[in-house]
Amino acid sequence: MKHHAIKLTVNGEERELTVPSNRTLLDALRDDLGYTDTKYGCGTGECGACTVLVDGVTSINGCLTLAATMDGRSITTVAGLARDGNLHPVQQAFIDHDAVQCGFCTPGMVLKTISLLADNPAPNETEIRHGLEGNICRCTGYSKIVEAVQDASDRMQGTGE
Amino acid sequence: MTEYAVIGKKVERVDARIKVMGGALYAADIQMAGMLYGKIVRCYDYAHARVTGLDLSEAAKCPGVVTVLGPEDVTTKAYNASVLDMMVSTDMRTVLGDIDDQNIFTDHVKHYGDAIAAIIAISEEAAERAAEKVKATYEELPVYLTAEASKQPDAIQFRPEKPGNLAFQLPEMAFPNNSYAWGDVDKSFADADIIVEDTFYVPKQKQCQMEPGNYIALYDDQQRLNCWTSTQMPKLVQKKLANLFELPMTRVKINQTVIGGGFGARLGMVLEPETCALAMAVPGRPVKILSTREEDWVTSPSRHPGKYWMRMGFKKDGTPVACDAKFENYKGAYYVDASGTAFTTGAWLGGMYKFDSLRYHGESYYTNQSICGAFRGYGNPQTNFVMEQLVDRGCVELGVDPIEWRKKWHKTIGDDGWCMGVPYNSCALDECLDRAAAAIGWAEKREKYKHQSGNIRRGIGVAVMNHTSGAMPMLLEHTVCDVILHQDATATLNLACSDMGQGSHTTLRQVAAETLGFNYEDIYIATGNSDAAGFDIGAHASRTLYVGGGAVKQACEDARRQLFDRAALELEEEVGNLYMEDKIIHVKGTSNKSISVQTLTDQGINNFMNPETGELIGQPGQIKGYASFFPPHNAPPFGATIAEVEVDMETGEVRVLQLVNAHDVGKAIHPGVVEGQLDGGAQQGLGMVLTEETYYDDKGICLNNSFTDYKMLGPSDMPKMTNILVEDADPTGPFGAKSVGEAGIVPPVGATANAIFNAIGIQILEAPITPEKVLKAIII
Repeated sequence: MKHHAIKLTVNGEERELTVPSNRTLLDALRDDLGYTDTKYGCGTGECGACTVLVDGVTSINGCLTLAATMDGRSITTVAGLARDGNLHPVQQAFIDHDAVQCGFCTPGMVLKTISLLADNPAPNETEIRHGLEGNICRCTGYSKIVEAVQDASDRMQGTGE
Repeated sequence: MTEYAVIGKKVERVDARIKVMGGALYAADIQMAGMLYGKIVRCYDYAHARVTGLDLSEAAKCPGVVTVLGPEDVTTKAYNASVLDMMVSTDMRTVLGDIDDQNIFTDHVKHYGDAIAAIIAISEEAAERAAEKVKATYEELPVYLTAEASKQPDAIQFRPEKPGNLAFQLPEMAFPNNSYAWGDVDKSFADADIIVEDTFYVPKQKQCQMEPGNYIALYDDQQRLNCWTSTQMPKLVQKKLANLFELPMTRVKINQTVIGGGFGARLGMVLEPETCALAMAVPGRPVKILSTREEDWVTSPSRHPGKYWMRMGFKKDGTPVACDAKFENYKGAYYVDASGTAFTTGAWLGGMYKFDSLRYHGESYYTNQSICGAFRGYGNPQTNFVMEQLVDRGCVELGVDPIEWRKKWHKTIGDDGWCMGVPYNSCALDECLDRAAAAIGWAEKREKYKHQSGNIRRGIGVAVMNHTSGAMPMLLEHTVCDVILHQDATATLNLACSDMGQGSHTTLRQVAAETLGFNYEDIYIATGNSDAAGFDIGAHASRTLYVGGGAVKQACEDARRQLFDRAALELEEEVGNLYMEDKIIHVKGTSNKSISVQTLTDQGINNFMNPETGELIGQPGQIKGYASFFPPHNAPPFGATIAEVEVDMETGEVRVLQLVNAHDVGKAIHPGVVEGQLDGGAQQGLGMVLTEETYYDDKGICLNNSFTDYKMLGPSDMPKMTNILVEDADPTGPFGAKSVGEAGIVPPVGATANAIFNAIGIQILEAPITPEKVLKAIII
């Protein structure tokens, strides 16, 4: 199989690696680069546990993206959100609203929220629920996640982030 | 009401920060030097077949392959992946007829995805490629997907000791006439004015915990078997693996990783035996097994599906005189916990209403499907679907309000609980019903929805449930906890209680802080290491806060008593004259006589002897509290859900508009944690009643073992939800707490079915209530 030498900037750090054509971004992040905060939940793009951000705000499923197509791009995983020990407002809102249970969907859910709020900084409840459709949570029934997203939206608008 | 410092407060969950930052390590995230990868070779061509040939030679030649393993290359000892057989006495195990009928690899495939061999390779990909080269030939056998099929006299017998493929029925020795019963049911029915009866079907629902089953095992250079697993039951799995591989428990270590949801799927062993068997074949090398979602689906247990017949009799005045029921479940390919759910499904039925007489038969039949085991509710959602619909049918015939009837006839304090002979000791179900009814406007809506026409019809329905906090006295309940006080007056709890995400480590830490008189931040819970922790039966039966919390409280009381004893000696006062505030122990009625906890804990450790006398100073010795706790009861939680739905008469679609869940939780140690359990439970309960079922074709090939084809309710599908926490302290629970882990899934099932009944005037007898079934019922 053909291999590709690619460069990825992951959480601000430039990484070089060689991947076969069929290597998914999820596997490259987890197995080649050690970003195990990106999760495998289904491998078919249904659950969103592998959600990462491309170039800051666009969310994609790592399991459906070939790593080689991401050459030169910037990837953010949930481990790359905190700044100088300060959590991103979305992370803090998830904590404050008990929106975290088993935590396996959490990285994807947090990143999806950031992407959602970048598109629509002040979503209503229906828009939030619609925006999270690609991310499955089996613990929370989504109630507290939706509350957390609403609160994060308020906080981010308040601080102008 | 008692004022608490930490109990009932919304403290930050112990695991929230690390989880939002991505630092929580689940089993798949752990890397080790020299790690090898295992791939189990499974039969996906047949659900029932004999393996007539197995050729591993081509696979062995594949690049990166370390070794290939067939049935004879690993232990051939049979086992039972469930741990239920370790929760009952040896005598009871014999009475129940629990058997070991699983092997690491089989030559008799009994379900889609049964394991026949394995590859160990240097990478996951190499192992997968080699697995594709395994050549197996099969003799196809008839497939039995229901009890009706597998009980036929000419059916192939799954096990010689289980004739008729009846894996389990309530044993005569413990249950006369193979039934869980009281009173004379036949005589009672003769006295009944109104009888309602039907046969229902409950579906094979899957837990769908977000983390698939991933494992690492290492048979190390000290000849110890190490297993990294997200099991819910580390101490029982330790013992089970010790038994299977014939090792003393000191040579088996469970490293419990962060658990990505359980809901019963990790109750007992799943792929721990296979992973350990592979590791034993390559001593000194860690072996990792990662499950795909599709693989996890067919290797971990599901809910028990099956036919559920029930008949109820009432007097004209509403008196429930008799209930007769039979649940024939389709148990799947192996025995596992055939006994447990078959019993409890009837226990929840028996625990709900004051029938003059009741008789329940529970039978588990082998079928060619993946195994059934524990799933949140453990038979209770099945019973809720059937019992609550029949009660509502009775209420219609009686012309009574379903809430009023339930308030009059549900069991309460002093009545026999779900386990006969153990009366309920607390019950606030009336308050749950009243508050839920008020919150949703029950009476007005019930009236409003009486006469509807048109394509869109609304309905409102109620259901109630009883559950348990731990499985005492049916099963062993026991947790060991020790708490050690450090020199800086902080404390570490050491125990094996599992937090699967439900928040139990948070609430246990609150119990410890409140009991010790310490701050929440002063406590750390050390867990996950089976070498260090004492016994704990594991996370099941909604027992972790009730039983684990009881152990924590007792251990912390022990430590606190030692602190007070030492303070009394130092202050030359009676213990009874002392009190603690802000970690300082004072003498009552004086302002200047006190000693800090830190002085005592520091003196206990950093005790430099008096250089003149050569004696230790004050009270030497590190303080350690200990408890080996057996709970006195099972503190029954009760709950009520009212659901409001909208049914489209043209398409059969059901939309749930809102749910009100009112639960008698005793005391909410952490309200956010409690609400989270009710919210999540509701999502799963609604799924069972509306959308979720694992389907097979007539050859037993699974059709929807993936998130693509199995429909769970997503964020937009969820209704408006209101949770009402009714706090009426249980006399035996830690700070009055009762369980909430499973309760939330149960009444949304019956309430939604009853709301549909209220909307369209027809009961749908099979769950999930899909649009097709609704349409079919309307048209007929």
